[in-house]
Amino acid sequence: MSRRFQLLFSGLFLATIFIVPLSQAGLEIYQGQLPEFFDVFTRVPKRVNLRTFETNIENRSVYATAVRPWIQSLLFMALRDPGEKALLGRDGWLFYTPDVRYLVENKPAESDTEPENPVLAITTFSRQLSQRGIHLIVLPMPGKPSVYPDELTHRAHMHDHDFASPTRELISSLQTAGVETMDLYETFLSLRQQHRLDAVEPYYLAQDTHWSGTAVRIIAHVVARRLLDLGWAQTGSTEYTVNSMYLRRRGDIIRMASVPSLTQTFPAEEVHCFQVFDKETRNLYKDDARSAILLLGDSFFRMYETDEPTSAGFIAHLARELRTPLTSIVNDGGASTLVRQQLSRRSDLLRGKKLVIWEFVERDIRFGTDGWKYVPLPRD
Amino acid sequence: MVFTTHIFLFYFLPLVLVIYYLLPRYRNAFLTIASYIFYGWWEPWFVLLMMTSTILDYVCGGIIASPKSTPTRRRVALVSAIMGDVGLLAFFKYYAFTAQNLNRLLPMLGVSSMPLLQVTLPIGISFYTFESMSYTIDVYRGIVPRAQSFSDLSCFVSLFPHLVAGPIVRYSVIARQLASREHTLKKFSYGIALFILGFAKKILLANPMGVVADATFAAASPLTVDAWFGGFAYAFQIYFDFSGYSDMAVGLSRMFGLVIPKNFASPYLAESITDFWRRWHISLSTWLRDYLYVPLGGNKKGLRRTYLNLTIVMLIGGLWHGANWTFVVWGAYHGLLLAFERWRGKQTIYQWLPKPGRVGITFVLVLISWVLFRAPNLSLAWSYLEAMFGARTHVSCSALLAGEIYTPHNLAVMLLCVSLSFQPIEIYDWLEHLSWRRALVLVPLFLFTIGVMFTQTFNPFLYFQF
Repeated sequence: MSRRFQLLFSGLFLATIFIVPLSQAGLEIYQGQLPEFFDVFTRVPKRVNLRTFETNIENRSVYATAVRPWIQSLLFMALRDPGEKALLGRDGWLFYTPDVRYLVENKPAESDTEPENPVLAITTFSRQLSQRGIHLIVLPMPGKPSVYPDELTHRAHMHDHDFASPTRELISSLQTAGVETMDLYETFLSLRQQHRLDAVEPYYLAQDTHWSGTAVRIIAHVVARRLLDLGWAQTGSTEYTVNSMYLRRRGDIIRMASVPSLTQTFPAEEVHCFQVFDKETRNLYKDDARSAILLLGDSFFRMYETDEPTSAGFIAHLARELRTPLTSIVNDGGASTLVRQQLSRRSDLLRGKKLVIWEFVERDIRFGTDGWKYVPLPRD
Repeated sequence: MVFTTHIFLFYFLPLVLVIYYLLPRYRNAFLTIASYIFYGWWEPWFVLLMMTSTILDYVCGGIIASPKSTPTRRRVALVSAIMGDVGLLAFFKYYAFTAQNLNRLLPMLGVSSMPLLQVTLPIGISFYTFESMSYTIDVYRGIVPRAQSFSDLSCFVSLFPHLVAGPIVRYSVIARQLASREHTLKKFSYGIALFILGFAKKILLANPMGVVADATFAAASPLTVDAWFGGFAYAFQIYFDFSGYSDMAVGLSRMFGLVIPKNFASPYLAESITDFWRRWHISLSTWLRDYLYVPLGGNKKGLRRTYLNLTIVMLIGGLWHGANWTFVVWGAYHGLLLAFERWRGKQTIYQWLPKPGRVGITFVLVLISWVLFRAPNLSLAWSYLEAMFGARTHVSCSALLAGEIYTPHNLAVMLLCVSLSFQPIEIYDWLEHLSWRRALVLVPLFLFTIGVMFTQTFNPFLYFQF
């Protein structure tokens, strides 16, 4: 290589590594700010401060922000790579990587202490409630890959008959410990067997981590039957009616993946929902804090209930089945601990309660925000 | 600081290059300060540890080289330096491991157990300890003169390109260059080209393979085919990660006018384990040869002693990588294979096969050892090997692993890794004839790699932990 090209090559490399910080600083000055880089001189050089500074530099980089979507789109178009958070399944199905990891990975070693031990947290909560005369029923919610493993990989077809989520071990442990726990895996398995025959709508959304409007309705019915069989709930007197409707919804996996070309490849999904109305007043279903039943849950309870189209989620449908309004605390991704912490701060919510229904998605057994901490009940 | 980060690439490196080339004098002192900042970025307090090690070796080197020193004094200085360096390494790297293991035995002997301290492992301690130790030993052996100044020695030990993950550079290689070196455009552009290729190896090949390896090694019971795929992925991750880092280190050194040796020579083309260790982490294997194998007697004390020496060296080499029984077994495995080949007159039992067969079998033997290297403990390593050889029952959820690892992206990267690992042209040779066409291929590669770096959150350097 001649000296001229050595110079050109070196110049191009240097231009690349210089242009990013210089233009970033120039832009920040233009916007009337002190360049982010100078932050390093304003803090004590401790490990935590240096990490924060580095993260800020990366997050505020205009180049990284501008280039990232292009590269992600390129990788998706060329190599069908939807990014680190999503997995591309079959027939246009997307899966959330932590949902799959939960099923595939080794269980961490058994721990006898909170916050790693969900059985301990759940049995403790059950005992706390029982001391106040309140029943607890636990609903571990299957993740999408537990119900539709064959939509992730063709290989799962071979395991159709014996596909077993590790959550079933937890269910069994809880049942042995005397905690009333519903096994929705059985329910979904038999539903899917019917699905093959009848070709009804899927029970989970293709682009989302959550269930469909149809599944919401069916599971609410199954849970209501169980509560009535146990005698833990009585049918009320409020008549509800449903209104069938369709809406278009962009799946949360597409949002989390943040790959622009995914949005173009996967148009918004059509979702069939059933909105619940008070038959008498024609008002949409609304919670009632005086209800004897309290629901604790995560985004599975939020779906269609507080987000579009509202009053079409599990809570509304369970209320319809039981003919009585319910009370709920919903925390996205926080059903393991955060939702109980919210309850702990609301002494009014447990007053007059006879039953608590606690739902959490199965991946939270391992990846739940804040783990499975001990949380005291609110004062009586 | 890590080479493949925003802060290094767009702030540290440009700033250091500008100041370095603007300085008419004291460039080594400046490189030392920059290297301390580079090292301290991870944990500022550990700079003091590195300085302590350097001061110890500087003082001991001075005593050894002093014409007034008696042989006894020289020996005492040498032993002090070695004990100081090894002591630091032993405490920070092996204390917890030793305490855990001894605490299982001591109560049986009626002795109270050792306290379990939470010792944080300083990044790269194994690398710089070996480097500074080699300085004192070389001064003692008369191979190199003592360092002209503390600045020279601290620059050698702390030099940021090779500080945290090698190559393990000898003082003899760099001493003359520290005193005087040439800065040419050819050297600079060659350094850039090497840096770009190392950077691309790490971001485009090692990181995606790391995702596959992590997924399979974390799986409860991978299917046989998945376990092999994961093993291949780890073999390529560790190679492209470590050789990528070494290439970047060599490239960065050249940008500052320093020439340090390469660390890899197409290791997966090795035809035997003996051959593999001539090609893999060359700076470590030659260090172990010169400072451990030869002092132990090498092959000069009979055949049995040779086999024993080989095994001891590889056991220590294994332990050098980490305080875990997996590394000890990994080292023993290689040691035994080396001893076996030596027993057969440096021949393998598959010598009769054509070259692709010899290369393939050696690769599989190495791949099996990588399972020991990668697994967090021996029990999981054994489980993984069972999965690879079909001796493990699978749980139904394992089927889902296929959806995560056999993606078009992973398959394409795997294919690229295979074709690059098993072809004979080394990047050093390819760059020796750096034409403008090749250089102009590297520029878009660099830009693309930066873009991919912006999208990755998984970006570990495997050898940092050593």
